[in-house]
Amino acid sequence: MELKIRKNGENYIIDVNGEMDLYNSYKLKELVMKMLEKKVERFIINLENVDYIDSSGIGALIYICSTIKKMNLKLIITNIHGSVKKVIELTKLMGYFPITNSIEEAIQQMEE
Amino acid sequence: MADKTYLSDIKEIRVDENSPLFDKTGMLYKEFNSDYRQIRYYTLLIVQSAPMEIKEINLLEQQISEVIKNAVKHGNRSNPAKKVRVWYSFDLDHAHLIVEDEGEGFKDLEKWNEFNRKRLECLANQDFEKLAEFVSFRTTKSDENDGGNALFAALEYWDGGFVFNSKRNAVAMLKKFPHKKH
Repeated sequence: MELKIRKNGENYIIDVNGEMDLYNSYKLKELVMKMLEKKVERFIINLENVDYIDSSGIGALIYICSTIKKMNLKLIITNIHGSVKKVIELTKLMGYFPITNSIEEAIQQMEE
Repeated sequence: MADKTYLSDIKEIRVDENSPLFDKTGMLYKEFNSDYRQIRYYTLLIVQSAPMEIKEINLLEQQISEVIKNAVKHGNRSNPAKKVRVWYSFDLDHAHLIVEDEGEGFKDLEKWNEFNRKRLECLANQDFEKLAEFVSFRTTKSDENDGGNALFAALEYWDGGFVFNSKRNAVAMLKKFPHKKH
């Protein structure tokens, strides 16, 4: 799994590439925690290039989401598709996570 | 009455030693050492015998990986001397698995069912604030890499049943794939 950060205005987009599984999902959690230490306030997690997620990956997203919610900061998860979407649906978390279909939509929602 | 109907719809993990899902007749078999680093590899060895049509990209693989992980990590505590035994059978209509470990059994099964019942209540009430308390099932033995959500998805995915034996160290599961009629 590879993580890249890019900036769009005040928004920090994290592009996740690869598989979010039991061996590497902690990396995303660690990255977001580091960014929080550096006072980043708006996160967009882009899962466009993620085709596999397991319960550890979902767990990492839950941890990130609940931490950011508690701090009253902003998070949007975007471009969820294929089996990643199915696993989130099976876990019934589609309503729990803040989700958009595209990065553009995410940026727009950040402004609201 | 409405409430009773609602409760009867709630899925839960069952314990039933005599479930037909534990019938191993005609099933293939593999056994593995409890090596945490090999979990996805073990899963691939099993899932490779499934027809493409039921793999649903990699959903079947992902679901099998979760039960093998539970056996290796939570059952056998990643003790390499302890074995995980897997019986499996796949065709276009079904995926059937039995996964057994050498651990002391899933002691928190009742707690898990109670936790899941509360989670489903939050979902039924669309109470996403309260749901935050029920997104991840933790025990004293959970670590930071445990998502605590694998069995929620498992109960939904294995729609033909997800049943433990009396000792609770073996779980049998069935997924049905309805044929599309042309």
